[in-house]
Amino acid sequence: MRPRLRYRTPLLIVLAILLVFSVLSLSLKQSPVLKRVEGLVVTVTAPGLQALEYLGRSVKRLWQDYFNLVGAKQENGQLRQSLEEYRQKEVRYQEAQQALTRLEGLLDLKRQVALPVIGARVFAYDPSLWSRCALIDQGRAQGVKTGLPVLAPEGIVGRVVETYPQYAKVMLIVDRKSGADAMVQRTRVRGILQGKGGNRCSLDFVPKSADVQLGDLVLASGLASLYPKGLVFGKVTEANKKNPGVFQEIEVTPAVDLSALEEVLVVKVANLTLSEP
Amino acid sequence: MSAAFLSYAFLALCLFYLQNLVYFPHVHLRLLALLLFYVGLRPSLALSLALALVLGALQDSFATTPFGLHLGAALVLVAAARFFRQRLLWQHLGSQVLASLVALVLQEVFMQVSLMTVGYEGFFFKDLLLHHGVEILGTAALGPLMYLLVGAVETFLRHFGWRPGNEPSQYQPFS
Repeated sequence: MRPRLRYRTPLLIVLAILLVFSVLSLSLKQSPVLKRVEGLVVTVTAPGLQALEYLGRSVKRLWQDYFNLVGAKQENGQLRQSLEEYRQKEVRYQEAQQALTRLEGLLDLKRQVALPVIGARVFAYDPSLWSRCALIDQGRAQGVKTGLPVLAPEGIVGRVVETYPQYAKVMLIVDRKSGADAMVQRTRVRGILQGKGGNRCSLDFVPKSADVQLGDLVLASGLASLYPKGLVFGKVTEANKKNPGVFQEIEVTPAVDLSALEEVLVVKVANLTLSEP
Repeated sequence: MSAAFLSYAFLALCLFYLQNLVYFPHVHLRLLALLLFYVGLRPSLALSLALALVLGALQDSFATTPFGLHLGAALVLVAAARFFRQRLLWQHLGSQVLASLVALVLQEVFMQVSLMTVGYEGFFFKDLLLHHGVEILGTAALGPLMYLLVGAVETFLRHFGWRPGNEPSQYQPFS
């Protein structure tokens, strides 16, 4: 065997180990070079995902509309009968709608004053089981910054951990790296809501003497201003006091279906203090 | 090599999109790892390494785990593929599936140990071990399909005159 070939395998192994450890250590030090590489990869690959996601949604809508058309002829006759009845109701409905529009405008204004937000669409996830994060279609150009909380109508989704020119990466509350101060709504008992991977979180550091029951709502406490105070994280689905140690084992299931997110809101403020719910 | 690299990278990107848009969140399979393993069984080491770097960076960019974790895991897969390539007969799909299973388990161990080393709590994430186990078994079972897919890419490339680096070029008669 030629000397060059003889040393090739050990050399490759050493180089590979060096590469992996260098990259990992650079990553842990938040190296800007790696951030740029990551940004480049996301910027190059995300448009494809975004376009395919949009295409899939459009095809689905088209398919559903087609089925609606098939049934439309039969429904037509029934609808004509109903139409007369509904005409009578329409006048009352319009009155109610006008009132609703006014009230919604007021409510929107109130929300905007309390929390300036950006609407975003989730178009990709990390498909592996190793982390739980999502990509949204709003980035630095739209004013999204690292650390901003992300919400859905049902509750808290997570927070922005990385921003790119047109996209941002959101770490979901179930990610193993996610941790936030939380409290049980009924008893105001506090703990740390820790992501456990999959679709679960745990409420850690709650003493066994504290009163926590199944079904209790877990809210953001507002401490450290990570998430707006009073918004819902999820519901207690398991509380175990029989384990060894001084703390309970509490499992929390998120209020939001974190695997089927569509539209979310990114809260644009740094200091998050809402009035008590 | 560049044509093969671009083709496999494109195939990998398609698989990544498929996982993200169709399989997630109901089906978890390590299709990229399987692709890398079967490409690792092909003659070119440079091609496997280049693909490992690209796939590692792609997966790292979409995850919240430290950058480099998937990269290292991809290199573990290539190393495993090269190891088995030298020691087993590749005519049997069964032995390939078994080897891919071992490679995926090695990848899993590497990732778990690396995560523990960089401060993730809980060694071998016991609560998700079952999910990971099923994911690995399911992925390895798809080995024959991936073998065909990798073979199909190579056949496709051969239509355009591509040959692996270590294969002598086709006989060209004097005209």
